[in-house]
Amino acid sequence: MMDNKTFIIAGIIVALLIGALAVFLASGDPDGLESTALVVQGQKTITGDTPADAEIHEETAGRFSYSSPMPDYSLGDSLGPLGGLIAIIVGTILAFLVVLGLAYGIKLAGKPAP
Amino acid sequence: MHIPDAFIPIDQGLIYWIIALIFVALALRWARNELGEDKFPLVAVLAAGIFALQSFNLPVAMGTSGHLVGGALAAIVLGSPFAAIFILTLVLVVQGIMFGDGGITTMGANIINMGVIGGFVGFYSFKGLMKVTKSMPISAFIAAWLACLIPALACAVEMYLAGTFPLNVGLIAMGLYHAVIGVIEAIVTVAAIRLIMEVRPDLMDTGVKTSVGAGA
Repeated sequence: MMDNKTFIIAGIIVALLIGALAVFLASGDPDGLESTALVVQGQKTITGDTPADAEIHEETAGRFSYSSPMPDYSLGDSLGPLGGLIAIIVGTILAFLVVLGLAYGIKLAGKPAP
Repeated sequence: MHIPDAFIPIDQGLIYWIIALIFVALALRWARNELGEDKFPLVAVLAAGIFALQSFNLPVAMGTSGHLVGGALAAIVLGSPFAAIFILTLVLVVQGIMFGDGGITTMGANIINMGVIGGFVGFYSFKGLMKVTKSMPISAFIAAWLACLIPALACAVEMYLAGTFPLNVGLIAMGLYHAVIGVIEAIVTVAAIRLIMEVRPDLMDTGVKTSVGAGA
């Protein structure tokens, strides 16, 4: 049986491989929610292909808006797939660390003071 | 099915946030009381894996793509719907803040759909199906499929309440796309459970281990 260290390293490697594959192989088609929005806005039919120029009209009046540092898992067109790889690696490691950190934090906070 | 800020009015987003925070608080309590330190590596690796899998959009025909959500996987592997809420909430925070995947005011709704509904549907349908079928792959497959479909339908209702989608078109399109996406969710979930059982059976808490030697 794998020890904890091997399990963590193997797990992160598998996650990073999946993420790296995603950068190159992920489908550019809209996801289910976006696709539904396009159907509602009359830009595609339910079972039809998504036209290349289809764009979701977003309501912005009275809605919150926020610019993330790495929108759409990308660092911009100039870096291309490399930017995508960096974004996925940062995100995967961050998800790992945030969950591990919070799990330890809760345990520490939950322990009675010595 | 990450809802962007533009799809829900701020006041409605706030209501979803309040509901979500109640479940997040319960998930934190679960982590403090139920999550042993021996499970930390599994929880953290699941978070990394779910983040990576969520970035992988696979084509599902009909001009649409979809990715795994992971609520059923987290809940089944860690034996609690709150595990899904714990992990999915943090994954959604990273996605929303760092990558603009899912909005900030809509994060509460996303936590409710994928973490709370996905986790509860995934966990309890798995538990029920295990009793009936005694088969992990069949139970996990159906549970994961439901844990993708039902949050999508909830999302369609939220979109209707927000005035973004009409109810019938939203339910039909969201339901249809996620019924297909759910098959990917189901296959990956069964494969991931198999893989974890293979390398670290001790970390699994699915009730599928043999009862021999267990108990007093």
